[in-house]
Amino acid sequence: MNPLIPAPPTKEPPASTAARVFAVRGLSKTYGDGEAAVHALAGVDLDLFAGELIVLLGPSGSGKSTLLNLLGGLDAPSGGTLRYCDWDLGGADEQGLTLYRREAVGFVFQAYNLIPSLTARENVGLIAELSADPMSPEDALHLVGLGARLDHFPAQLSGGEQQRVAIARAIAKRPRVLLCDEPTGALDVRTGVLVLEAIERINRELGTLTAIITHNAVMAGMADRVFSLSDGRVVHTQVNAKRAPASGLEW
Amino acid sequence: MSLLDRKLLRDLRSLKSQALAVALVMACGLAMMVMTRSLILSLESARSAYYEVYRFAEVFARLKRAPLEVARRAAEIPGVAAVQPSIARMVTLDVPSLPEPATALLNSVPERGEAVLNRLHLRAGRLLAAGSRGEILVSEAFSDAHGLRPGDRLSAILNGRKVSLRIAGIVLSPEFVFEAPPGAALPDNRTFAVLWMNYEELAQAYSLDGAFNQLALALQPGASESAVIAALDRLLVPYGGLRAYGRVHHASDVRVNDEIRVLQGLAVGFPLVFLAVGAFMTHAVMSRQITLQREQIAMLKACGFGSREIGNHYLKFALVIVCVGAVLGVIGGVILGHRLVGLYHRFFRFPDLHFHLATGVLLVAVLASALAAVVGVWGAVRRAMRLAPAEAMRPEPPARFSASLVERAGLGHFFSASIRMAFRNLERKPVQAGLTAAALALATAILIIPNAFRDGISYVLDFQWDIVQRQTVSMSLVEPGPARALADFRHLPGVVSAEPFRATPVELRAGPRSRRLAIIGLAPSGLLNRVVDADLRQMVLPPQGLILSSKLGQVLGVRVGDSVWVRSLEGKRVERTVPVAGFSEDFAGVSSFMDLGALNRLLLEGDVISGAYLSVDRGRWTEFLTAIKETPRAASVVVKDAMRESFRKTTAESIGVLQTMYLTFATLVAFGIVYNSARISLSERARELATLRVLGFTRGEVGAVLVGELSVLALVAVPVGLWLGGWLAAGLLKTINTETVRLPLVLTLANYSFAAAVITVATALSLLLAARRIKELDLVGVLKVRD
Repeated sequence: MNPLIPAPPTKEPPASTAARVFAVRGLSKTYGDGEAAVHALAGVDLDLFAGELIVLLGPSGSGKSTLLNLLGGLDAPSGGTLRYCDWDLGGADEQGLTLYRREAVGFVFQAYNLIPSLTARENVGLIAELSADPMSPEDALHLVGLGARLDHFPAQLSGGEQQRVAIARAIAKRPRVLLCDEPTGALDVRTGVLVLEAIERINRELGTLTAIITHNAVMAGMADRVFSLSDGRVVHTQVNAKRAPASGLEW
Repeated sequence: MSLLDRKLLRDLRSLKSQALAVALVMACGLAMMVMTRSLILSLESARSAYYEVYRFAEVFARLKRAPLEVARRAAEIPGVAAVQPSIARMVTLDVPSLPEPATALLNSVPERGEAVLNRLHLRAGRLLAAGSRGEILVSEAFSDAHGLRPGDRLSAILNGRKVSLRIAGIVLSPEFVFEAPPGAALPDNRTFAVLWMNYEELAQAYSLDGAFNQLALALQPGASESAVIAALDRLLVPYGGLRAYGRVHHASDVRVNDEIRVLQGLAVGFPLVFLAVGAFMTHAVMSRQITLQREQIAMLKACGFGSREIGNHYLKFALVIVCVGAVLGVIGGVILGHRLVGLYHRFFRFPDLHFHLATGVLLVAVLASALAAVVGVWGAVRRAMRLAPAEAMRPEPPARFSASLVERAGLGHFFSASIRMAFRNLERKPVQAGLTAAALALATAILIIPNAFRDGISYVLDFQWDIVQRQTVSMSLVEPGPARALADFRHLPGVVSAEPFRATPVELRAGPRSRRLAIIGLAPSGLLNRVVDADLRQMVLPPQGLILSSKLGQVLGVRVGDSVWVRSLEGKRVERTVPVAGFSEDFAGVSSFMDLGALNRLLLEGDVISGAYLSVDRGRWTEFLTAIKETPRAASVVVKDAMRESFRKTTAESIGVLQTMYLTFATLVAFGIVYNSARISLSERARELATLRVLGFTRGEVGAVLVGELSVLALVAVPVGLWLGGWLAAGLLKTINTETVRLPLVLTLANYSFAAAVITVATALSLLLAARRIKELDLVGVLKVRD
């Protein structure tokens, strides 16, 4: 692991006393300047802990994608502080961000973003190669229930299957953080639930801090905590004493 | 292999036809580079080995007559390593297979033992035995042209006496690697021969016993050539010596050097154009690829791949194409080089001309194409590297459409919906449209170049033999003689008109620059051999002053009104300054002209001529030929049509092979470019076209949009390409501008039409191929979220 990025705390502590992974204070992000400036995030305070599953809820334009991009090191904040395990993620340069994404973060995108010319196994293997201690692509695909479709190309898989390949890809490098951007946005209920079950299982079995953004309020039930965003601010925080299983969700 | 590399290979497989098109374009450029550089190496190494082993002399002198004792004194000049005196005379030959007389330069070989310098290489038969009489050795180029073998016979007129000579052997000489009549710019192996005979037999025939009329010298290492030449000139002046000269003025060596120089130009010019085109195509393919893989790049970056890794991935993409191109190019260059070496043997006679692969050029070639590819992809790759991952995952903003300029101008109703759609598309994406148009223009342009070469050459030939030379034959006397010889020529059967000429060897000097050549004295406004200016108008020779060919003017650095210093190299050895009265146009060799009377006055001679140009009645042609074969006073007879035909069969044919090769390359490349452009525009339009199909458009209607777009682009691009092609051709032709040969820029309608036709056909075929893909458009995919 690169010295630039601190070693993660031990995995799977109890949620209440878990190590803090992200410390977010007064985080803001502005696109453009002058009169055309858009304040996508306007002062967000958050602490996220290892092993948690959180949901970021909000309509489009509420700033949830921007927050996810900042947490994932895809973008740099305009103001405030953003620390990952006491490392200044918000002030990292391009090289630092790349290393951070390589070693700490797994992404799941709404549009899957698989490489069409690589099979499921290869898509996972491609990213696993970046890690010093990866899961085997086969194990990762078994975890998401695709053990039987290892050598299929993306075009030969259904949308739900493609999204599960994307999840396997994201977790194969054993990231500290799994960030999911509308992971069921392009899927029907039945396959959407399969995908959420896979995410839930990863969170439970690997203790990965998992953040899901969605505009679908039903998913709030499966989270430890739910942050509702509006106009670039967290307007409501909900703590679930008990998480509902993903299999029971319906929308 | 890393998985990213596996992705690369699969992406390449799906792009194989486009990648192959780019690789082929690069291969064409590289093949030409490898071929020409290897030819240069082959010529240079064959030449240096030949010159060394057969002891090619370094200084040459001709004189009227000197006793052999003078040659021994020449050997004592400081810096001289060896001397070889000999006799050389022009003779007229009667070859059984040739209707007109042929001319030969008859040289002596030492009666006993091998020559010290300019040794002969025996190809067939045997060398001359000591004391053998009535036997000769014949140059290979001439014997090939007539199928002569050892044992065959030729008749020659030696000093006015007709003798029958038996061919003992076929030989090569380092003095005649390129075999052209003295002073002639073009070779004619049919009517000009080089022969060798034992010294004593030749000496007796011309009463030169114990004497010589030409001398060849080898120098000691480090000796000053100019000092030796000066000393030699002083020694030979009393014996009628013409000024001695070094290898730089040796006719055969000059031709080999000029050929190498032309090849050097071609080795850079053509490959440069093709590699530039290759770079451009790589850019187009890679830009498209990177646009298509925008989301993939974003994902890879989000997952932690660095910009450099992404950059490397796409650079590798280009480098794989380069590798394929390099391998194909080298193989192609070697194969073509082998073929051309065979062709070169027709003009340059070396004992041992073999193809030598210029290994150094391989590295240069691969580096040059890698550089071209990297330059080509750099912009696109940088775009991929800079792509912010969060940015790239958002869908691209929808395109803005508006009525096109054509419609706003109220012309919309003239065009079909497809064409209107094409106009709108083009206006919406001016950069893509511009790139496609630029590609089509380039494809058109490179087709112009090889045909411009062909047209330039055929222009030179028409110029030489229709505009300048209007005589049927030109006949030279053995020695310059009194003008009344003209009357004898006039009385030959079939002669309609005759005009006299005088050719006298001189040295022209202007400041530090000098050239040795002949001043041709002509009737001031003769009708047969004419002097013309750049506008092809006949120039009337002024009563005073010289007309120089414009290239000679350049070489000497003189302008009209300047004076040049003239030294006659025969007769009374007059030295004068003469004003330059004008410049004439010619494309082969350099020349200088004067009014015949003025020239004779300059030389302080009476009414003397060297020969005459004759116009002969076709009906009495056989009668004329029979008569001149019996004319002992005629040293040489040049039949214009025979010369032209011989040139057409040899030089023109070999240039034809080269030209065909370049044209094939250019056509291939043009197809590659057009096909690539069609594929890229199909790929850019795939989603739109699929949407149209979903909305109920037929395949034909959808195809029409693409056809409309490419047609509009082709209409703009082809004229630009024609202009660009002319410009490129002019640039390349500039590299062929030597004292022996120059090519004018001739752009014909046929050339333009051919280029336009190839582009039209290529566009049509590419569209047919693309149409197959319209059938395969993913109609369901278009309804889904873009992934």
